[in-house]
Amino acid sequence: MIRKFLNLFRNGVYFDQYLFISITLLSLMGLVFLFSASQGNIETTIKQSFFVLFGLILMFAVSQPDPDFYKNNSLLFFLISVLLVVITLLTGKEINGAKRWLDLGFFTLQTSEIIKITLPVFLASYLFDKSLPISFKNTIVSLILIFFIVNLVRIQPDLGTSLVILIAGLYILFLAGLSWRFIGVSAGLFTLSLPYIWNNFLEPFQKQRILTLFDPNSDPYGSGWNITQSKIAIGSGGFTGKGYQQGSQAHLDFLPETETDFIFSVIAEEFGFFGVCVLLGIFFFILLRCLYLALNARDRFCRLTIGGLSLLFLSTVFINLSMVVGIIPVVGMPLPFISKGGSSLLSFYIAFGIIISMATHKKLMRR
Amino acid sequence: MIDLQERFSERKNFFNRLVLVYILFGILFGFVIYNTYSLQVSSFSDYEIAALKNKSREILVQPKRGIIYDRNGKILVNNEPSYNLIFKPSQVTNLDELINEINIFIPLNEKDISLINKNFKKAASLNRELTLKQNLSQEEISKFEVRRHKYENVFIAERFSRKNVYPDLFSHSIGYVGILEGDALEQKLSNQSIKPKETIFNYSSGFIEGKTGIESIYDDNLRGKFGKRIYEVDASGKLLNLLNEIPPVNGDDIKTSLDIESQKAAYEAIQSRRGAIVAVDLSSGAIVTYLSSPSFSTNQMANGLSNEEFQALITNENKPFFDRAVQGRYSPASTIKPAIGLFGLENKIIDWDYTIDDPGFFVLPEDNRIYRGWKKGGHGNINLNDAIIESSNTFFFSLAYQSDIDNLRDHLFKFGFGRNICADCFLPDTGLLPSPEWKMNTHNFGWFKGDTVNMGVGQGYLSATPIQLAYYAAMLANKGKVNKFSFVQDFYGSEKDIFNLENVDEVDWNKLHSSMIGVIDNPKGTAGRLRALKDYKIAAKSGTVELVSTDTKEDYKIIRETEGNRDHAIIIAFGPMPNPKYAVSVVIENGESGGSVAGPVAIAVMNALIEND
Repeated sequence: MIRKFLNLFRNGVYFDQYLFISITLLSLMGLVFLFSASQGNIETTIKQSFFVLFGLILMFAVSQPDPDFYKNNSLLFFLISVLLVVITLLTGKEINGAKRWLDLGFFTLQTSEIIKITLPVFLASYLFDKSLPISFKNTIVSLILIFFIVNLVRIQPDLGTSLVILIAGLYILFLAGLSWRFIGVSAGLFTLSLPYIWNNFLEPFQKQRILTLFDPNSDPYGSGWNITQSKIAIGSGGFTGKGYQQGSQAHLDFLPETETDFIFSVIAEEFGFFGVCVLLGIFFFILLRCLYLALNARDRFCRLTIGGLSLLFLSTVFINLSMVVGIIPVVGMPLPFISKGGSSLLSFYIAFGIIISMATHKKLMRR
Repeated sequence: MIDLQERFSERKNFFNRLVLVYILFGILFGFVIYNTYSLQVSSFSDYEIAALKNKSREILVQPKRGIIYDRNGKILVNNEPSYNLIFKPSQVTNLDELINEINIFIPLNEKDISLINKNFKKAASLNRELTLKQNLSQEEISKFEVRRHKYENVFIAERFSRKNVYPDLFSHSIGYVGILEGDALEQKLSNQSIKPKETIFNYSSGFIEGKTGIESIYDDNLRGKFGKRIYEVDASGKLLNLLNEIPPVNGDDIKTSLDIESQKAAYEAIQSRRGAIVAVDLSSGAIVTYLSSPSFSTNQMANGLSNEEFQALITNENKPFFDRAVQGRYSPASTIKPAIGLFGLENKIIDWDYTIDDPGFFVLPEDNRIYRGWKKGGHGNINLNDAIIESSNTFFFSLAYQSDIDNLRDHLFKFGFGRNICADCFLPDTGLLPSPEWKMNTHNFGWFKGDTVNMGVGQGYLSATPIQLAYYAAMLANKGKVNKFSFVQDFYGSEKDIFNLENVDEVDWNKLHSSMIGVIDNPKGTAGRLRALKDYKIAAKSGTVELVSTDTKEDYKIIRETEGNRDHAIIIAFGPMPNPKYAVSVVIENGESGGSVAGPVAIAVMNALIEND
């Protein structure tokens, strides 16, 4: 048993020091930020540090198996995660009118966070050997799959995550070689169907959030409150910030959801534009490293997976940031590695574990 | 399986697409960073202010109004502290329940409860406080203290109410304060460049202002300046700590020229009859006594009156709110005679030796209309001195008949008729000094000689307020110069009004004074009954205002059955002679006899003033 475990490391450990160091750094910074954002709540911070530690170990562990292991088992993982989502919908724990969590006793699992990872991996394994450009049949199959999952998550309801799943799926499809003609036609159709989507698929509060975006001052104490206060927090941080734990917006409760969605506002308020640049610098470093790894991956499956997952990460960061600075409507979206969270935090350690696995397991290429 | 060629093109395709997405996101991120930059760097100061505004709340602190003193430094109006049971309507959801619970151990009165119910919503929306009960007793305070844990939103605090020490004596002169709200509130506060907002009140009634009298005229001086406290607050509006404080500046105290003793004497002498009394210090024009009767309690007005009480006051047929002293118009009647006499001297129509024969009436040559005197048979051969002492109408009819109305009008104007002669009176009326133009415009009739004749005895269109009569008396007493009247001399003390008479010299003035002394002291004087009431000399002229004109005493007996038809009693006086210090005017509506009804009131006031000097 022990020998079998050690055999895993016979070829050494699979490890990307750039990603590992930058993610660890980001996680540690996240803990520092969270301590302030939670009003100095030591309990929250300790709990989060356990998640971070566990997440880093998980990332390391996930990066050890050969990409083939993920390729061969992707269907299994995918089915398990779909099952979990369905179970959540049926028996999940309801918080604030949303059924997103599965109570495992020691941990409440947000199942959509798992399917966020397994769907792109599965799609990559489905599409990696299809010839270019992707045939219409394969495109439709993939799209049906994507929309099925997106809808499962949307009805929880979890607009933010379903959006991320949608774009993650579409990235894979796009990177795998979706025909430009198909893209053009569907983009046209999508534009035409926007009014229909507005009227039939969006909850009133979601519509309100979108409307608020265009004129946050129309209702500064109602649905515009979050955006208004977030902008004040960020803006009042100035270039150098108000100092650690000195943010009045965050510490006097003007800013909502400081530990999760709006933690960036806290950082911007307390560390200013300078702090924002440092933080974004680390994010960009991670993203550029991912780009490099994707371009140098050993095969198409690895490429697609790295590309898809890194874009998933990129999109999450983008949605969170543009939400808090008021470019897009408020959707529940954490800032990866920084926001407080269980499932959402761990999902990105898993995603990067998979990315590292894909990037570090080399195969001799025939020339 | 895809071949090598295809794999190569696939890799290139992937490369292109991934880089394309990255570039796309690069642009999007550029936009995010640009936005962050513009928030944090370009618009920093705006957001810094917004954050500061968020976390700080400015609360006004109400200043205390200045204290009002009498001329001897005795307090007339003060701020009286009391311990009140107070709550914040914005924090109370079930008002009835709260009232019922508190009522069990601190009995609240109906009036307060109805006031609370009336103001609850408004106070809640403005985050103001409401008073459950004022003037808690020691027992009530301790009863509440043991239960205070049950009532988070109710507290006991010291609040002031505006209290007039003599509420019924100075109803009209000092006036009262009332609640300030709405546009008027915004207006008043904007003078201090502040807006109505949450306020720590010193007064139970909240924002107050002087509504009438000195409280209104000197509101700006008395009010003081609001202070500010700036608190750090959290999003729920909870006050965390005091960041900055600008203490309020209490209002200026005001020293008036009012005199308590003479005011008391006036109040007692008039006995709630309808009328007015004004007395002034001749050296300064300072109003020392000022009473309009009947009066009302200013404290009730300032600190809450039930609807019934208020209705009773405004429907009272004696009109207690009506300030007769500056707004009541009365014909000067015979009190005008000294002024007419002076006009005769000034215009050389008569001199002191000039006499006429008084048969008891005057016949207007133009139309043979008869103007009667008060004494049947008349006063016989009579000169100016006797005409004043005995109040001969015929003498003055005849003198007025020889007068030019425009000149006469100018003459009376200088004595204060037809104009405001008070610097700080509340809503003074100018009375009516008629002119031919005025008559044409309002009555569409030309001026008759008869109108001038009537004016000669102070009847007809001519009317004056009691304060104007006092001014006229002061002008006579001071021989043509008087300071503009005022309650507060710190502001208006020096403005002098000088009436230069070219043909009237010191001797004439002294003769006039002695004629007026004769009104009381001469055996033939019309106010002889006053002789016994004083032990110094007083110059006076009484008058009796005919409201219904009658030809015989029998006719008058019939019309006097209705109180409102009875003549007004009126007197002007100054003394002690020969160096007068005070002038006084008294009007008693339907009092019938100037000499014997208004006279004693004037003497009582004069006595009080002179005794207390």
